[in-house]
Amino acid sequence: MATTRALTRLATRRTAVPPAIFTRGFASVDPIAREPISKAAEAAVPDPARKPVPESQTSTIKEPEAEKGAKIKTFHIYRWNPDEPSSKPRMQSYTLDLNKTGPMMLDALIRIKNEVDPTLTFRRSCREGICGSCAMNIDGVNTLACLCRIPTDTAKESRIYPLPHMYIVKDLVPDMTLFYKQYRSIKPYLQRDTPPPDGREYRQSKAERKKLDGLYECILCACCSTSCPSYWWNQEEYLGPAILLQSYRWIADSRDEKKAERQDALNNSMSLYRCHTILNCSRTCPKGLNPALAIAEIKKSMAFT
Amino acid sequence: MASFLRPGLFRQTCQNPTASQCMLSTFTSSSIKRATPLAQQLRPSFVRSAIPKSTRIAAFHATQRQQLLPPQPQKILGTVNDPAPVPTPEPTHGAYHWSFERLVSAGLVPLCIAPFAAGSLNPVMDATLCALLIIHSHIGFEACIIDYFPKNRVPVARNLAMWALRIGTVVLGVALYSFETNDVGVTEAVKRVWHA
Repeated sequence: MATTRALTRLATRRTAVPPAIFTRGFASVDPIAREPISKAAEAAVPDPARKPVPESQTSTIKEPEAEKGAKIKTFHIYRWNPDEPSSKPRMQSYTLDLNKTGPMMLDALIRIKNEVDPTLTFRRSCREGICGSCAMNIDGVNTLACLCRIPTDTAKESRIYPLPHMYIVKDLVPDMTLFYKQYRSIKPYLQRDTPPPDGREYRQSKAERKKLDGLYECILCACCSTSCPSYWWNQEEYLGPAILLQSYRWIADSRDEKKAERQDALNNSMSLYRCHTILNCSRTCPKGLNPALAIAEIKKSMAFT
Repeated sequence: MASFLRPGLFRQTCQNPTASQCMLSTFTSSSIKRATPLAQQLRPSFVRSAIPKSTRIAAFHATQRQQLLPPQPQKILGTVNDPAPVPTPEPTHGAYHWSFERLVSAGLVPLCIAPFAAGSLNPVMDATLCALLIIHSHIGFEACIIDYFPKNRVPVARNLAMWALRIGTVVLGVALYSFETNDVGVTEAVKRVWHA
């Protein structure tokens, strides 16, 4: 009986057509169906043999039909296609009506991808500043696209670049391999040899727990690291603010017993001490954390020892 | 005759010799009406059109665009799941170095103020100020060299810069020593320049 029920369920699931409302993206507000996206895509896909084109000469993909009172804003977006490795990156312009777009930059990007140019590539996941996927350089500031409001001033044009000084996979997608490898190198997990005294949990006082506030919230979006000039120049050896903040998160943890080893791993000329307190990291952090303070705390704890 | 002066059209005729005759005749009137940029009119067309198209663009630039440290192809050591290598602990270049640097910097503050505030010209204090200044500048320039001359990218330039810095520091030390012993000394010199 159970098998037949399961079989019927499978059969119905396969035949069922998902309701049309779920196929639409979140950011599109306009209920009117547009032209097939292939038309816009044909216009946007570039010729492989062309030279690098400045944004002033590239075509601008416009709103299909401008309405009355439309707030048209121009977005210049960095484009680079790995399928044409010989061609240089270029800036593609898009115009959107802000009345039909959500309030955040990510909404604009999703709307461009859904309705204007499906070849635009970017990372996104949670759209609420928790996952750290949509980190990019918007109007010259590294931030999360989902936490960055679109400036309503339509006279100003927005420019969106990938995170600076990273290898680019495509369009707005940077290669984070080295960043994650560095994160792995600091052993971001609790290291203990002794069992808990009561055999149950590793307990912390409220004061000890309070030390981790402002550290555990880091989502590893790499906005701070890629805003740091020192990290730009010495990415291979310097760990960068994000990783050092994480390192301090485990150094400051009262339950961790490998504090000395963690400090020893940073005790060389490059890993930690390439920080020159430029403070770009604290200024840019989209979560409002203070990586520079964490680095200073590490330096302080290692000084005169 | 305007078509002959107009280099854009002339270029076209050179590339396409079969169509040159008809183009000269048919486009003469239209090219007069069309507004052309002044720069294009002034360009020596006969020189330009002789060069093939690919080299012409490169030759137009007076200076070649050169990047100081162009990005290298991405290199990933080990697999993507291996941690980045952790260097061996070197406190002399790490924590000790940093502490020493901070001590020197903090010590310089009173040493710079005291001689002028107190108005005294103690040679020992002058000597200390000079020594700390030399160390401070050496550490500062060393940090710049480490930042901007990565060892694995430009090892020769790194070594050259480091040796230049060492020589410079020694020269500065000798110069300051002779200035202190044979002349008035740093503090007095600053004082005189200030009042001059």
